[in-house]
Amino acid sequence: MQIARVVGQAISTVKHPSLHGWKLLVVQPLGADGKEDGEPLLDIDHLGAGSAHRVIISNDGAGAREIIGDKNSPVRWMVLGICD
Amino acid sequence: MRIAKVIGNVTLSRCHPTLVGFRWIIGVPYSLKALEANQPDGEDLVIFDNLQAGNGARVGFSEGGEGAVPFLPDKKPVDAYCACILDQVKVQ
Repeated sequence: MQIARVVGQAISTVKHPSLHGWKLLVVQPLGADGKEDGEPLLDIDHLGAGSAHRVIISNDGAGAREIIGDKNSPVRWMVLGICD
Repeated sequence: MRIAKVIGNVTLSRCHPTLVGFRWIIGVPYSLKALEANQPDGEDLVIFDNLQAGNGARVGFSEGGEGAVPFLPDKKPVDAYCACILDQVKVQ
């Protein structure tokens, strides 16, 4: 799990069937000093995180597949929580 | 998933038997600054594509073990899988 900042949203029509109905967020992982660390990622989100929110993201693919309910989903990153 | 811009494709005449007949694209990933300017600046990589992503399109691709999960129970040695073609990326 990592802390990241929501920097935007992405919209996709042609996609893997398991992604239908999920919101795609563009999030930027942050380092310990609060600065950007690495490249931005596409995450699925069911919590309604908005722009500039800090969120906790998980890179557990098996967990994401369980929540999506599709054993063949390529999703790896998902938003687990919104930081106060 | 990371975001990449498609800059070309790859064809293979000899390949692993499980990979015959598929399409491969070359994608260049974006850093945050690059995403704002729409000028990808990462290290390019070859991505498995069954969504027919064209040149110049922006795609989301899964890496690592998740790249091979969509094919299960078949096993394919894929570690970058094009999961979505992005119509719009809004970065504030």
